Amino acid sequence: MTSIGTGYDLSNSVFSPDGRNFQVEYAVKAVENGGTAIGIRCKDGVVLAAEKIVTSKLLKPGANKKIATVDRHVGIVSAGLVPDGRHFVSRARDEASSWRGVYKGPIPTSALANRLGSYVQAYTLYSSVRPFGITAILGGWDSEAEAPVDGQVGNGPDSGAGGKIQGAKAGGPGLWMIEPSGLYWGYYGAATGKGRQAAKAELEKLNLSSGELSLVDAVKEAARIIYVAHEDSKDKEFELEMTWISSLDGPTKGKHEEVPKDLLEEAEKAAKKALEGEVEEEEGTKASATEDQQMEE
Amino acid sequence: MTSFGRYTSAETVGYSFSQPTSAPNKEHSFYPYTDNGGSTLGISGSDFAILAGDTRSVAGYNINSRYVPKVFKIGGDDESGDGAHILLSVVGFAADGQALKERLDAVVKMYKYQHGKPMSVRACAQRLSTILYQKRFFPYYVHAILAGLDEEGKGALYSYDPVGSYEREQCRAAGSAASLIMPFLDNQVNFKNQYIPGSGEGHALEPKKAEPLPRETVEQLVRDAFTSAVERHIEVGDGLQMMVITKSGIEEIYSPLKKD
Amino acid sequence: MEHFPEAWGRPRNDIYGPYDHSYLQTTGPKAHTQSPAVTGTSVIGVKFNGGVAIASDNLASYGSLARFTDVKRLRVFGDSAIVGFGGDVSDMQHIDRLLNSIDIRENYSSDGNLLNAKNLHTYLSKVFYKRRSEFNPLWNHILVAGFDGDGKPFLSSADLLGTTFSAPHLATGFGAHLAIPILRRLFPEDTPLENISKEQAVEALRECIKVLWYRDARSLDKFSIATVTKDGIEVKEDEKVEAQSWAFAETIRGYGAQVN
Repeated sequence: MTSIGTGYDLSNSVFSPDGRNFQVEYAVKAVENGGTAIGIRCKDGVVLAAEKIVTSKLLKPGANKKIATVDRHVGIVSAGLVPDGRHFVSRARDEASSWRGVYKGPIPTSALANRLGSYVQAYTLYSSVRPFGITAILGGWDSEAEAPVDGQVGNGPDSGAGGKIQGAKAGGPGLWMIEPSGLYWGYYGAATGKGRQAAKAELEKLNLSSGELSLVDAVKEAARIIYVAHEDSKDKEFELEMTWISSLDGPTKGKHEEVPKDLLEEAEKAAKKALEGEVEEEEGTKASATEDQQMEE
Repeated sequence: MTSFGRYTSAETVGYSFSQPTSAPNKEHSFYPYTDNGGSTLGISGSDFAILAGDTRSVAGYNINSRYVPKVFKIGGDDESGDGAHILLSVVGFAADGQALKERLDAVVKMYKYQHGKPMSVRACAQRLSTILYQKRFFPYYVHAILAGLDEEGKGALYSYDPVGSYEREQCRAAGSAASLIMPFLDNQVNFKNQYIPGSGEGHALEPKKAEPLPRETVEQLVRDAFTSAVERHIEVGDGLQMMVITKSGIEEIYSPLKKD
Repeated sequence: MEHFPEAWGRPRNDIYGPYDHSYLQTTGPKAHTQSPAVTGTSVIGVKFNGGVAIASDNLASYGSLARFTDVKRLRVFGDSAIVGFGGDVSDMQHIDRLLNSIDIRENYSSDGNLLNAKNLHTYLSKVFYKRRSEFNPLWNHILVAGFDGDGKPFLSSADLLGTTFSAPHLATGFGAHLAIPILRRLFPEDTPLENISKEQAVEALRECIKVLWYRDARSLDKFSIATVTKDGIEVKEDEKVEAQSWAFAETIRGYGAQVN
C-alpha cells in the first residue's frame, strides 16, 4: 500500500488527496477477516446464515449467537468485529422500538436500513470516533396483511372513508447490506466476511431475481454456501447458524426465528454431501488425468 | 318570576349564556385506597407466637376471593418462605399490605446478606416502624402485626398503626373485626375483669394475674375468636390461616371457616 | 375601537367577560386522569382441567353511549397468556403497547417466552400500583389467564389500585355481581379442576355473557372468548350471543310506566 506513511490514514474523517478515506478502508479489512455471513431473499421469505468459527473448545456449542433479532420481523447478521456488531444491533433495536413508539407499528426493513446506514455513516465523519468494523446484513419481512396499529381496537369501516381496498398488495421480503462507509443497498443475495467471494459466486448461480427459489430450498442453499465458503479455512472448526423470516402464511408467520433444528440438520447434512460430491468429482477428474499421462507415456 | 328549579340564576343579564355558578360541582377525584376487609390476630406465649388471619378478600359487598393470605413469612430463603424466622400480618388495603410485606422481606434478606446473621425480631420491629413512618403523608393503609421469638427465645409480638407507631404486646387483634375480638382477648389472655374467687369483697377483690398461656389453649382461643367473628362480621370468613413460630421453625395451619 | 388585532373577531369582553385562557395553561399542577372516559365492561374467566377460559364483550362505552362496538378487549401475550381488560380503553391500549414491547424484547433471546402468565400478572399489578401511588392511575381492572411456573392453570386479577387476587373463577365490573354467582353455582370452589372440562368452562362463560347482555346496560351481544391450554391459545373475537330469550323482560315490574 503506497498510501501508508503519508499520514492520511491516521485520522478518521480525513480524505487523502485522491479522495479516499483510509480509516473506512481499514474497517473493511476488519470485515474481510470476519466469519462469512450471507443472506438470501426469496419470494416467500428471507434466510440469514453465518459461519461461526469455534475459537476455543471451551465455548459452549450453540451459545453466543451471531444472528440477532431486532424486532419481531427483522434479523441482523454481521461479519467483522463482534462487539461492533453487538452495538449495531442494539442501535437497530432502539430504532425499531422508537419507530413503534411514533408510528404504532413495525418499522419497514427499508426504513430501518436507511436509519442504520445514516448511523454508520456518521461514524466516518468525526475524528473522535472510528468507523464500524462490520458489514451487516439485515433481513426482514414487511407484513403483507393490513397491519393493525399497535394497541388498535376494532377493524374500522369495511368500505367508504377509511375503508379497505380489496386485493391491495403490500409488504414482502427485504434484504439489505450495510458497509462500514454507511453505504447500503438492497440485495437478492448478500455475502460478507472471509468467504464472501466464493459465497457471491454461489449466490449468483441461484438466479435469485427470477423468484423461483423457495424459502425451504433457500435454507438448504444457504447452508451449502456457508460450507463452500468455509473450504478455504478448512483447518478451523465452525458452527452453522441460520435464521429465517417467512411470509405471514409461511412457517414463521412473518417472524424472525431460528431455523428449526431438524431442518437445520437436514440442510447441513445435504451441504456436507454436496461438498463431498464435488471433491469426489474433482478427484475423479484428477485420476483420469493421470491415467491420460500414463497413456501418453 | 317563575323559578325553573334550583339552578335559576339571578344574573341573567345581557347576551350571556353563562353557566349558573350555583350548580353543585360534583367533586370526583381519584381515591388511592380501598378496604379489603378481613381480620388478623396475634398472641405470644412463653416459647412461641401465633399469627392468624382469615383468608377472605372483599370489595364492598363483593367477595373478591376466598383465599388471599394475610399472614406472611418474612426473610425466607425462597418463594415458599422456608428458613424465615419472622412473621408479618397485614390487614386493610391489600395492595399496600403486599407492597409493605415485599419491602420488609427485602430488608430482612439484605440484612442477612450484608451482616451474615439473621435480623433480630427487635431490629425488624423497629425497621418496620421506620418504613411505615417514612410514608407518613401517604401511608400504607394497613394494620400490621409482627411476630417472632426474642433474644431469650420468648414469643415476641409487635403491633402497628398505619404510620408506624408500635408496641410490644401479649396479644392484638386487627382489621375489621378487631373491635369484636380484642375484648375477648383482653378477657381470655390478659384475664381482664377476672378475679380470684373469694380473695376479698368489693375493691379488695384480687384481679387474676395474667401469665403466658400454653400453645394448645392459644390455638383454641384463636379458633374461637375467628368462628365468633365470622358470625357477627360480614367481611370475615372463608378460611383461617394460622402460623405458629417456635424454636423449631414455622408451622402453617389452614382450617375452613363459614363461607356465608 | 378595539386596537389589538388578536382580539378582533372575539366575543366582546364587555358582554361575555374576558376570555378564559385557563385551558391553555402549561404551568401549574399537572392534571392526571381522575376518571375513565371510554370504558369496557366485564371480563370473566374460569379455570378448567388443563387451562383457563376467558371472555369479554366487544363494546367500548362513552358514558351511556355505546361508542365503539368492535373493540377486542382480550389481548394475547406470547404463546401462553391472555390479558382481559375492563375499564378505560386508552389505558388498555397503553398497556397493550407496553406488553408488545416486552414481547419483542423477549424475542431478542432465542430461548423464547420466558415470562409466563404469573410473571405477567405480577408485573402488571406493579405497574398499576406504581401509577396509583403517583396519583396517575391506569383506570383498568384486568384478568390474566395462562399458566404459572409449575405449568398449572393460572387466573388472577389486578386493578387500578394494584389490588390483586386469585380464584378458580373471576370477573370484573358488573360480572362480579352477575357472573360470579352463576360460575360459583356451576363450579363450586371445592370442585377439583379435573372435573371441569374445557367445553363446560366455555359454555359457562357464554351463558354468563348472555346474562350480562340481558342485565348490564353497558354490555353488548357481540363478544370475544379465548382459551389457554398446553396446546396453545384459541381466540374467537366475533362471537354473538345465541338463543336470546327476552321473555323474562315481560315479568319485570317497578322500573317504568306500567299500567298494572
